[in-house]
Amino acid sequence: MDQDGIQTSTAQPSWDTRVKDNSIQPAPLERDAELMLRVREGDQASFGLLLAKHRGSVVHFLYRMVQRQAVAEELAQETFLRVYKSRATYEASAKFTTWLFRIAAHLGLNWIRDWRTESRQESLEGELAEGTTRQFADRTPTVEQQLLHRVKLREVRHAIELLPSKQRAAVLMHKYEEMEYSEIANVLSCSESAVKSLLFRAYEQLRSRLAYME
Amino acid sequence: MSCPVEDDGDDLIIAYGAGTLDPQQERKLEEHFQICARCRDLAEAQRAVWSALETWPTMVVSDNFDARLYQRIAMEHQKFGWRSWFPTAWAMRPAVPVGVACAALVAAFLLKDPALRPLHPSPAIPAAPAIEQVEQALDDMEMLTQLGVENPADKAAATEKI
Repeated sequence: MDQDGIQTSTAQPSWDTRVKDNSIQPAPLERDAELMLRVREGDQASFGLLLAKHRGSVVHFLYRMVQRQAVAEELAQETFLRVYKSRATYEASAKFTTWLFRIAAHLGLNWIRDWRTESRQESLEGELAEGTTRQFADRTPTVEQQLLHRVKLREVRHAIELLPSKQRAAVLMHKYEEMEYSEIANVLSCSESAVKSLLFRAYEQLRSRLAYME
Repeated sequence: MSCPVEDDGDDLIIAYGAGTLDPQQERKLEEHFQICARCRDLAEAQRAVWSALETWPTMVVSDNFDARLYQRIAMEHQKFGWRSWFPTAWAMRPAVPVGVACAALVAAFLLKDPALRPLHPSPAIPAAPAIEQVEQALDDMEMLTQLGVENPADKAAATEKI
């Protein structure tokens, strides 16, 4: 386990809520799990389908975690590589996305931990400009609007960056991936009540920093 | 009317901000906001946070993302190609540490239990005939003394004295 209490392996999460009564028919496999089982049997095309489906969400999640495009892509590549390398031992015991985001979150949290120990010389300005340009690419906002948006975006990113890494991961999964508390708990290997506590503290901090922006 | 936020915690406000409450819960909470300024302010702040987070655009993934990934996968195949010849054995690799641990346990058990140790020759066993021989010699000397047979060494020592 690392400092945040996250399990460091790519092991699949336990599925506490699964039905243990053998008399009940097991639920049908989700589509992603079916695809992953085909990957296990050597079907490369199924891996391509999983990649196409989840590439964006994993990259965006990691981008918001680490706030650097190149690093986010590198970590996303590592995430999918680990999924591929673990195909032989894959069992559809949990939701595929839970497993996928557990790997991604683990890599993101580790990167943040390592990065914090290094000097924080790099500025976010370059990437801020990039994001802003994309946001307004198909519109013609005034200079004031662009400036206002840039300031707002900088505040949001700074507020997220100031959150402790585990709170940050919980908020990003809750807000942008629309995950349930139970799923976030599985990804972060903690209890549902711990997730509620993480989100409560995170949103409390965000309210104190961002509520004035309305 | 009791405060639902105090009863259920901030979950309610977070869900309200996210717009995930069912319509009945939402209506009930909004009725409560009419009489509770604290909850109303909290909910407004939460909605403002939610709205602010919406402004963060997604990044555009590089066009060559997949190509780079497949290149890394191909490199993995080259690096560990031999594993594909033994897919079952490779899948069993988590069992290796368990096997090693079992072997260590068995070895420790064998070393600890004296009944199961291999028999080593005891150092006391060869010493036993030597002691018996010395005792036998002493007995013989005593018997000869009693019979009046002189020890040749004593006889020689007496001659030297004279």
